[in-house]
Amino acid sequence: MVTRIVDLRSDTVTKPTEAMRAAMASAEVDDDVLGNDPTAFRLEAEMAKTMGKEAGLFVPSGTMGNLICVLVHCDVRGSEVILGDKCHIYIYENGGIATIGGVHPRAVKNNDDGTIDIDLIEAAIRDPRGELLYPTTKLICLENTHANSGGRCLSVEYTNRVGELAKKHGLKLHIDGARIFNASVALGVPVDRLVQAADSVSVCLSKGIGAPVGSVIVGSKNFIAKARRLRKTLGGGMRQIGILCAAALVAFQENIGKLESDHKKARLFADGLRELKELRVDTLAVETNIVFIDIEEGVRTRAEKICKYLEERGILLMQESSSRLRVVLHHQISASDVQYALSCFQQAVKGIQNEIGN
Amino acid sequence: MAAKIVDLRSDTVTKPTEAMRGAMASAEVEDDVLDRDPSCFRLETELAKLLGKEAALFVPSGTMANLISVLVHCDTRGSEVILGHDSHIHIYENGGIAILGGVHPRTVKNNEDGTMDIDLIEAAIRDPKRELIYPTTRLICLENTHGNCGGRCLSVEYTDRVGEVAKKHGLKLHIDGARIFNAAVALGVPVDRLVQAADSVSVCLSKGLGAPVGSVIVGSSSFISKARRLRKTLGGGMRQVGVLCAAALVALQENVEKLENDHKKAKLLADGLNGIKGLRVDTSSVETNMIYVEIEEGLGTTASKLCKDLEEYGILVMAMASSRLRIVLHHQISANDVHYALSCFQQAVDGVPNENGK
Repeated sequence: MVTRIVDLRSDTVTKPTEAMRAAMASAEVDDDVLGNDPTAFRLEAEMAKTMGKEAGLFVPSGTMGNLICVLVHCDVRGSEVILGDKCHIYIYENGGIATIGGVHPRAVKNNDDGTIDIDLIEAAIRDPRGELLYPTTKLICLENTHANSGGRCLSVEYTNRVGELAKKHGLKLHIDGARIFNASVALGVPVDRLVQAADSVSVCLSKGIGAPVGSVIVGSKNFIAKARRLRKTLGGGMRQIGILCAAALVAFQENIGKLESDHKKARLFADGLRELKELRVDTLAVETNIVFIDIEEGVRTRAEKICKYLEERGILLMQESSSRLRVVLHHQISASDVQYALSCFQQAVKGIQNEIGN
Repeated sequence: MAAKIVDLRSDTVTKPTEAMRGAMASAEVEDDVLDRDPSCFRLETELAKLLGKEAALFVPSGTMANLISVLVHCDTRGSEVILGHDSHIHIYENGGIAILGGVHPRTVKNNEDGTMDIDLIEAAIRDPKRELIYPTTRLICLENTHGNCGGRCLSVEYTDRVGEVAKKHGLKLHIDGARIFNAAVALGVPVDRLVQAADSVSVCLSKGLGAPVGSVIVGSSSFISKARRLRKTLGGGMRQVGVLCAAALVALQENVEKLENDHKKAKLLADGLNGIKGLRVDTSSVETNMIYVEIEEGLGTTASKLCKDLEEYGILVMAMASSRLRIVLHHQISANDVHYALSCFQQAVDGVPNENGK
C-alpha cells in the first residue's frame, strides 16, 4: 500500500493551503451578479493592475476565459481566429469556439518552441477582397507558456512582433496566458511588459499559482464589460464568489515567488532522467515547470508499463501518447519528492529493460 | 443613510453562515476535472438521491444548469424547445440556448399560476410530417416555482400530465427547479415525487438554500455524463470545487427546513403591504417566498421611485416594471426585519407627494 503520493499530472492538482482556507472562511462576500462581490472586485483590480490592463473578470476556468475572449473579439458572424495547431484552445477546449461560438478556427503550425512563424500567420490572414468565399479574420491567439511544446516561453520580442502584425491588419491579439507568470519568471520579464501587445489575456489562478478554482481575463474596460455579459450567458455568473477570490488573492501573494523553484525542480528532474538511456528528455526545452519524456523506439510499448509501475509507487503522471509522458512540477512537490520520483523512474526503466532482456 | 439593511431583492443575496464557512475551510478537495473532488461527489450523490434521479452535476449557476440541460436534450441540429413565454430561460438567460446552442425556442403562454395550458403545449409540438419547414420539437421546459408569476407552484398532477404529453410525443421534460424545494415545501409533497415525470431538473443551491455559489443538474447517468462534457466546453469545469460543495452540503442540511418560515414571512409581509393604501398585493398568489407589489395609479409614484425611497430606509427591493415591485424572502431576513420593512413601506408611501401638489 502506497503511503506517499507524488502527483505530477498537472499543476491544477494544487490544493488550497491553510492560509487560503482561512481566507476563504473569512472572505467578505456579496452577490456578484446583482452588484459587486468586494473580494472579487479586489482580485480583478489587482490582476488588471499587475497585467497592465484596464479591467479584469474572474471566471470559473481557463476554458471559459479563452472562450469568452475569442467570442468577444469575434462578435461578428463569419469570424475567423488564427491560432497554433497545437494550442490548448484548439486541442483541449472541446472546439467550443466553433461549436458554441460559431467562430472558425484557422490553425497554423506551432514550432517546437511554441511560436508560429510570423510569415505563416500573415499568410493565413484572409484577404478581405475574397470575402465572398472567406470568413473574416478578427483575431490572433498566442499561448504563453505553450503547454504542448513543454511549457516553453514566448519572448517579449516575438509577442510584440505578432502584436504589430495584428495591428497592421486591424486584428486583435489574445494571449492564452494560463501559465503567463511561469513565462514571466523564466524570462525575467515583468508580466505586464510581456503581455503589453495583447488586447486580452487569460490567466489561470488554479495552476501553478495554486488557488483552488478559477482564472481571470484582463483587457480594456469596454472588452471586460462585454466579457461580463457573455460570462453570464455561458452560465459563469456566480454569486458570493469572494470565497474563491479570497483564496486566489492569497495564492497570488504567496506563490508567484515559488514558481522559480518549480522551474528548478523541473530542470533537476529532466537532468536526472536524461541519465537513463531508454528515455529521451530535451533538457534545453525545459524552460518552466513542464517536462516531456519520450520513450526510445524499441521500448515504446513500455510507456504504459512505466506509468503503471510508477503509479504503484505513488508517482502519478500523464501519458500523452504511446511514447510520451508528461510531468508538471508545482509548489506542493518537494525536492525530496523529485528525488523519490527519479529513483522510481530509474527502477521502472531498469525493470522494463530486464523484461526485454528476458 | 440607514444603518440597517434589509435586502429583499432576491434570495441569491444570502451569505454563507458560520457553519458553511467552517465547512469550506476544512473541505476535502481534489481536482474535479482530472479526478473527482470528494466533496463535490458527496453533494452530487446527495442531490441525485433526494430528487430520485440516477446522477447529478454541480455547476456554477442556474443559467448554466438550464443551458446544459436544454443543449444536451436538444443535441441534434434543428431542435426546438417548448417553454413558457415568461419563463426564466426565455427572459433572463441572454437567449443562450439559441445564441450559443442553436436551439429554437417556441414559447407558449404562461398562465398567472405558472402553468401553460396543456392543449396549447400540445398544439405547439411540431408535426414531423412537415419537417421540411419545421424544426424538430425535442423538449418541454417547466419552471417550478415560477419566478415571473410570483413564486407559484406547479402541482404534481400538472407536472405529471405534462410528462405524459412529452412521453406521448417522444419528447423530454426539463424542470427549471431553481426553487423546487420551495415548491415541495409549500405543496407538502416530497421533492422526488414532484419531479418524478422530469428527465432532468436544475436546482439552485445559492438561492433560498443559502449556499454561496452554484446549482445542480439531476438526471439519468447517461444524461449527466453528456452534461459533464458540455459543462467543460462551456468553461464550467472547476478544479478544487469541493470548497463550494462543502458549503452547499451544509446549506442542504440546514436550510431546507427554514423555507417554510420564509413562506410564512412572505405571507405576513404580503398581507401587511396589501393593507397599505396605494399598494396592492394579490395575497392569494403568494405561495412561497416571493411577493409582487403593484403600485396603484392613484398613489402617484413609480416602482423605481419607490424603490429609491425605500433604499433611504435601508430596504432593498427590485423594480420589475413601471408600477411593480418584487420582494423575495429568505432565511437571513428575520421577523423583525419584516415588521421593519412594513413600517418603512408605510412611511415611504406616506411620503409620496400628493398629486395635487400638497
